Amino acid sequence: MALLELDSVNTFYGRSHILFDVSLAVEKGEVVSLVGRNGAGKSTTFRSIIGLTPPESGEVRFKGEKVNGLRAFRICRKGIGFVPEDRRCFPDLTVRENLEVAARREKETTKPWSVERVYALFPRLQEREKNLGSQLSGGEQQMLTIARTLMTNPEVLLLDEPSEGLAPLVVSLLAEMILQIRNEGVTVVLAEQNLHFCAKVSDRAFVIDKGSVKFEGTMKELLANDEIKEKYLAV
Amino acid sequence: MAPSIDLSFLTVQVLSALRQAAFLFLISSGLTLIFGVLNILNFAHGALYMLGAYFIYALTLHLTGPAGFLIALLAAPLGVAVIAVAIEAGLLRRIYKQEEIYQLLLTYSLVLIIDDLAKIVFGPEYKSIPKPDAISGAVTIFGGTVPVYTLVVLVLAPMMALVLWYLLYKTRTGKIVRATSSDREMADALGINMSALFTLVFAFGAMLAGFAGALAGPARTVFPGVGTEVIIESFVVVVIGGLGNLWGALIGSILIGTLETVGIIVFPEFEMSLIYLLMVAILVVRPWGLFGRPLKVKALSDKNLSMEAQEISPVHYSIHPLIRLIPLVLLLIVPLVAGRFYQFLLTQILIASLVAVAFNLLLGTTGLLSFGQMAFYGVGAYTVGLLAMKAGFGTLPALLLSPVFAALAAGVIGFFCVRLSGVHFAMLTLAFGQLVYTIAFKWYGFTGGDNGMQGIPIRPLPGGIDIGSTKAMYYFALAVVGISIECLRRIRSSAFGSTLKAIRENNQRAAYLGVNVKLYQWTAFVIAGAFTGLAGGLYAIMEKAITPDIIHWTKSGEPVFMTIIGGIYTFAGPVVGAAVFVVLNSYLVAWTENWALVLGIILLVMVLMLPGGVVGFINEKARGALSKRGWVRKWVFSK
Repeated sequence: MALLELDSVNTFYGRSHILFDVSLAVEKGEVVSLVGRNGAGKSTTFRSIIGLTPPESGEVRFKGEKVNGLRAFRICRKGIGFVPEDRRCFPDLTVRENLEVAARREKETTKPWSVERVYALFPRLQEREKNLGSQLSGGEQQMLTIARTLMTNPEVLLLDEPSEGLAPLVVSLLAEMILQIRNEGVTVVLAEQNLHFCAKVSDRAFVIDKGSVKFEGTMKELLANDEIKEKYLAV
Repeated sequence: MAPSIDLSFLTVQVLSALRQAAFLFLISSGLTLIFGVLNILNFAHGALYMLGAYFIYALTLHLTGPAGFLIALLAAPLGVAVIAVAIEAGLLRRIYKQEEIYQLLLTYSLVLIIDDLAKIVFGPEYKSIPKPDAISGAVTIFGGTVPVYTLVVLVLAPMMALVLWYLLYKTRTGKIVRATSSDREMADALGINMSALFTLVFAFGAMLAGFAGALAGPARTVFPGVGTEVIIESFVVVVIGGLGNLWGALIGSILIGTLETVGIIVFPEFEMSLIYLLMVAILVVRPWGLFGRPLKVKALSDKNLSMEAQEISPVHYSIHPLIRLIPLVLLLIVPLVAGRFYQFLLTQILIASLVAVAFNLLLGTTGLLSFGQMAFYGVGAYTVGLLAMKAGFGTLPALLLSPVFAALAAGVIGFFCVRLSGVHFAMLTLAFGQLVYTIAFKWYGFTGGDNGMQGIPIRPLPGGIDIGSTKAMYYFALAVVGISIECLRRIRSSAFGSTLKAIRENNQRAAYLGVNVKLYQWTAFVIAGAFTGLAGGLYAIMEKAITPDIIHWTKSGEPVFMTIIGGIYTFAGPVVGAAVFVVLNSYLVAWTENWALVLGIILLVMVLMLPGGVVGFINEKARGALSKRGWVRKWVFSK
């Protein structure tokens, strides 16, 4: 049984139909990329999973249990963590407060995330713990939002365009961190336009275009498939 | 002012300013907290303050002595919090998905309901709340006599502020509250239960208002409607400080408290006007208040998009011109069959219709909720009154000048207001409306102050047409209103009107298309103000008397009521709403003293069940039924 499954999901913004029968499955322990151009439907897929834009039809299953229809905070508490694309740190809270707000204690996990544990993963955040969210650099903000979502003890982490707008050096740092998070036992789903970045971290990939899945396979297969790359990714 | 300020005088004034600031802070901190988290401007906040004062009144009837007073002081705010939980969970929660103006209207309907319920339960008279002997005397500080109770307030209010600071900055829930006020959706996605948090924050904010009422009650008095005065002051405080910002509420309270105290000494006549002038001065420099930030533009947020899906009966056709003439013909023959009472009632309806249709150019067409529209009505009415009484103008020239002066006022006020949007806009128009009100209310030498003007002379129109009789006045009003409404209809269906609608739907996209959004909004504001002023001028001619009451902000709720009842997305809706309102008003006043309660309940039910209004609802049904009959459609609807 897959950890996270989407079964012919259709999602609308108002009257506009955005996702068309999107189906995909993510296994426990892998890093999967959702690749596609701007506006292809990657963020909407994530928003459908986490319940911020609930699907009109189809099913989202987490560990075999249907979660669509639940409200976002319930879905989060089931173990799905969402890191939005525009980072969205709480600007008026300090780094430490940003983390504390997200901490969840009631969920039974063998190794719950604590502020100390995420600091070990992102030492830079500890240095800046008294700074406000609004005072961080782009890379630090990205780290903080990932760290903050880890505090909810997710089993699967949805990362929306983490590399967007970051300097190349920071991007390769980020890639290492994602692999480290995977080693801590968290499954990662990545929405990306940066194929190069995906190649570094992920095992498998889905290509999404105009709201439907056009390709599914290992990262290697995707990198070798020039037709798909040209048609949907304009590489 | 005394030539030399002595220490005793200064002590008394400083302490009284601080006491005023303390009350203001307690009220506005709750208001700003609720806005920050729920994104709702709680009009009923003043009514909750009033409940706090009434509760301590009722409790101290049974609990006496210092201990009893203290218990009452703590129990009263808790009682208010309980009521707030019921309001949030029972009513507000149903409309979080709606546009923010509906949330604002719901809390406005609660003002009408709670005020009238208080009148039923506690009576219309002023109540004073006894203080225990221990804290009712006065002490001498630096030679000045200061009530002991002032010192009690100055101890308790800062303590409450410290508690508030501790809760927000040192507890996890407080941090969650601060996080949610900057990004609600993100907090939701991080596993925080928004519904529970909303209830908690609304109850807590209401408790602060209740505490303010319980603390201020014994120092002031309490009466039904005291909340409508209190809410204005706290609106000014949060506008100055920045909506949603607690530090802003603190600084704003101190500024206003000081200014009110100084104002009473230096300019006793225009003390209230001073605080509005300070507000204007600050907004010129910082449109979002001292500590405020522009609200983040919600691009393609879920809420905006889901609104498109549940769009409320937009009307895409217009009625055939011949059919449109039927009401006019009916109105022309009314005086032949109806007596003076009905002629007078219809004149009132005509004037109200003009106000409502003009107002709806802002609300329904442009998407701006003005809560100070009656200021322009007042300007129009006073123009006619002053010109006719002091300058000997004829009735028609005076009436023709009323929209001109109203437009000038709207031009100035609109300049400030259109720089803001949504609830900021509503609050600012309200504050400006109150500024006009205080001027009319206090300027005895010019406007007659609270006595207003009586016996406005009505002079014959050119050609010797006398409009002194009820019937002639009816025909005169019908002509003026008929022409005005046709003008407004043409404006609404012109390219200009379509641009306004585009701004309502999505002002960002309109701006991307090269539309100068602010200029269009300002123009709509001026047009609406001019026609509202014309209606005010007609009112002055009809009543032959004016009082400043017609400008008070609670009157500005009336066009809102009319348009919502009738339906804001239709042209005819406000007319129907105006008729319903005037008829309800005149019959309810005869039938019950508590007509505000009935109006409040109707508005509440409309907001919850029929947000498209009566006409919107009928349209929707009619369209469904008529679409099956081609010939009806062809004749009734031209498009």
